[in-house]
Amino acid sequence: MQNPNQPSRRMFLQSAAAAGATPDVTQRNTQHVEPPVSQMGKRPLGKTGLEVSILGLGGFHLGATKDQEEATRIVHGALDAGINFFDSAWEYQDGESEARLGRALEGRRKEALLMTKVCTHGRKKRVAMQMLEESLGRLKTDHLDVWQIHEVVYENDPEMIFGPDGAAEALLQAKKEGKVRFVGFTGHKDPSFHLKVLSLGFPFDTVQLPLNPFDATFRSFESQVLPELRRQGIAALGMKSLGGSGEMVKSGAVTVEEALRYSMSLPVACTISGIDSLEVLEQNLKIALNFKPMSEAERQALATRCTEYAADGRLELFKTTTQYDGKVGREQHGYPAAEKLPA
Amino acid sequence: MLISALGLGGHHLGQAADEKTAKQIIAAAVDGGITFFDNCWEYHLGKTEDWMGAALKGKRDRVFLMTKVCTHGRDKDLALRMLEESLRRLQTDHLDLWQIHGVGFDNDPALFIRPNGAAEALALAKKQGKVRFTGFTGHKNPKVHLAMLDTNFPFDAVQMPLNPFDASFRSFEKAGLPELVRRGIAPLGMKPLNGGGDAVKKGLVSAEEMLRYAMSLPVACTITGMEKPEIVEQNLKIAQKFQPMTPVEMDSLRSRCRSVAADGRFELYKVSLKYDNPEARMAHGFPIDPQQMEVKEMIRATDNTGKPFPSYQ
Repeated sequence: MQNPNQPSRRMFLQSAAAAGATPDVTQRNTQHVEPPVSQMGKRPLGKTGLEVSILGLGGFHLGATKDQEEATRIVHGALDAGINFFDSAWEYQDGESEARLGRALEGRRKEALLMTKVCTHGRKKRVAMQMLEESLGRLKTDHLDVWQIHEVVYENDPEMIFGPDGAAEALLQAKKEGKVRFVGFTGHKDPSFHLKVLSLGFPFDTVQLPLNPFDATFRSFESQVLPELRRQGIAALGMKSLGGSGEMVKSGAVTVEEALRYSMSLPVACTISGIDSLEVLEQNLKIALNFKPMSEAERQALATRCTEYAADGRLELFKTTTQYDGKVGREQHGYPAAEKLPA
Repeated sequence: MLISALGLGGHHLGQAADEKTAKQIIAAAVDGGITFFDNCWEYHLGKTEDWMGAALKGKRDRVFLMTKVCTHGRDKDLALRMLEESLRRLQTDHLDLWQIHGVGFDNDPALFIRPNGAAEALALAKKQGKVRFTGFTGHKNPKVHLAMLDTNFPFDAVQMPLNPFDASFRSFEKAGLPELVRRGIAPLGMKPLNGGGDAVKKGLVSAEEMLRYAMSLPVACTITGMEKPEIVEQNLKIAQKFQPMTPVEMDSLRSRCRSVAADGRFELYKVSLKYDNPEARMAHGFPIDPQQMEVKEMIRATDNTGKPFPSYQ
């Protein structure tokens, strides 16, 4: 009987074919300094002293798996392959993402760097602290490794987070109480919002941002925010490497391997990737386990190839539409629900 | 050229109950002194141009007629075909103003000015006497408007959203209007009630305050939607007794709106695709919204109802 937690050879090949991934055999044979296949690369998580796997498991897609069993298999498969960074958010699937991740990590919590996000969307510290307790309960743990403010995507979010009694104070308090080790924020909308938050001198450990070959030339987090993170010594966590829901791959503009490798080749600690099935897990693990950074020339060539479709943001809908803005944030900001305002 | 301070918006005209109501609206507007009529090739798949053309029969020389072309980055030839369709629907041999519609995506200015782009169609139509003046419109981002101006195409008019909410959020009033005044291009205000009157419906402001604010800015005309004869009357009353707001009044209204203006919740045309027509979305490869009026109309367009414009509801 095959261990369900081990990737099967058959599925491995299938998913590689399905993804159109074509491993460059010639190049591999000439690279003798390569670490052995099947070892997941690790990088320092900024100044935290922690080491994080180059690929992280995205929480939204984990919450979208067909059932708990599938979610558990994905989490265990990821851990077994060396992934140690796990993402979630208080609001994903109304808590189901955290609940599935919590159940899947039972007995293996120590192997994971666990991150979740707080979803005050402008509300006060007290709401944030309540959410923290709920997140800890669902995740079945007494502490988080990283706690981030979710979705800084509205123009007035920075001032609300840092206003009197705002969520920023909750981050500090939770850290002081030992309930979270490190803190950060996330957002997918506009590099200027990230820069605004980063200008306020708050001691962030991590910042999450969209990074992909289309971002390189359109409202670019890569060119505007990454250098600032580096300057401040904050760990960069990349996300939306394929457009948020694989839009870039479905459009035929890039392959999964090209887009993931591009994002992982940037100066980031970890690239968080949405994985909602074992097939996608194996496909992405294969890319991560064989990862060799793209040279700057390769990255530039790919970004240049993507320029035409990048120019109006059609494959980065998280920047140009409301499609990726969550329900709770919409409510807090007086925006119509997704059913009324799908994009 | 002199035009009325208030203009009749084309999109809402297509939402009138029927063609008869649309004719009443236009007759009331013309009788009330409105001379500026807005329209667009893509509004309701041509219905508003058809209705306006029919309603203006015998009144054409009393009005300043504008419509818009909807290439959304596509070629000059398409623009010229759209012009012929607009002229036919509007039952006229010339437009007073022809504008590029819905400039909003970051690459629209580059697509407009490229060789064989829509800029060449504007220039040619003007030379041929089919249009007297040219311009562009957009509701998304003042930066994109400025990039259009930077193409140095000799625009006569530019249309943009102007209202007390805009003043505190990605502001056309602050970033676009002064540049138009500087260049001597006629500014045309639109969306004086935020494009759907949501803030009025929520009781935050009155329609009169909103309209007066927009009309008090240095604009040639404020275009507003009127889908019922009662709304024409209401707006005519405001326009006929119009006294510009003082700078202090304007500032106090801006301040009142500021806290809810700050995240764009009342200006969804700036932050979402909601106000982007399917022609624009498709030309740019963005998803269409099956709930959007024009999309429903497209889906129903092939229904054999025996009527030119099947109801979308």
